Amino acid sequence: MANFSRRQLARYAVDQLLAKQAPAEVAKHLAAALSENKMQHQTELLLDDIAEELEDRGLMAKAIITSRSKLPANLLARLADQIQKATGVQKVSVQEQIDEQVIGGFKVETAKRTWDKTIAHHLAEIKGGI
Amino acid sequence: MFNVNPQFAASSSGIGSLGINLKGFIFQLLTFVIVLLILRRWVFPKLVATLEARRKTLEESLVQAKATQEALTKAEERAEQILHKAREQADVSLADAREQAKNLITKAESSAEDQAKRVLKEAEQHLSQQQNRLREELKDELTDLVVLTTEKVLRSKLNPEEDAKLIEQSIKEIS
Repeated sequence: MANFSRRQLARYAVDQLLAKQAPAEVAKHLAAALSENKMQHQTELLLDDIAEELEDRGLMAKAIITSRSKLPANLLARLADQIQKATGVQKVSVQEQIDEQVIGGFKVETAKRTWDKTIAHHLAEIKGGI
Repeated sequence: MFNVNPQFAASSSGIGSLGINLKGFIFQLLTFVIVLLILRRWVFPKLVATLEARRKTLEESLVQAKATQEALTKAEERAEQILHKAREQADVSLADAREQAKNLITKAESSAEDQAKRVLKEAEQHLSQQQNRLREELKDELTDLVVLTTEKVLRSKLNPEEDAKLIEQSIKEIS
């Protein structure tokens, strides 16, 4: 197999998934390519690249939402809708994360964008801005 | 020269009546003439020459003395001129020295004043920098304190309902 960059592999994976290839099959191909190119340690980065490629193409955005406590379902749904509008993707995959350090509010991270509306971030801004 | 009247020569009533011995008189006269001739022949010329030489010597001495006097006068005048000139030069030099000293003092004063101003300015700048630094440090510490206090208050006081309200407000800001 020829040498591929991580970005090329991400594009290949998205193309294959859109072509209705079985995810397990695509995963095998990617694993082989990573192994061949001695890039086994870059698996996580490749997944990030695939998420970014999906977001770039307006297909899907994987959003990690961090808050102080578990968010109510209605808020989570509204948040997902708002993320979908902001990124312009067809589907948003939400992953919740609890972190008491944020104090309050939330933080949304997609492959390409970040919205930090936490109180901790506001306080840090105040601290850095004065 | 004595002219003897012959009428007195032979009679005692003439020259003899005066008590003069005519022969003796003639003898003395001849002697006198001879002495006079001898003196005139050998003594007077030498004496006159000697006197003349002395006169010349005296005249020369006088001339020399006069010349010396004139030279002395000229020397005194020249010395006076030199002294006067030296005095003038000394006055000029003294005036120059005073002027230079004055300039030096003025320059030194000016330099000292400039240096004092520079030191003062540096001190002011240093003080201003210190003040600014302290002000910044105080501001940072105050900010840290305010943020820390706010954070503690919010951690303890912010309940899930208020947090939900805050999240609702913030959702609109995602764009």
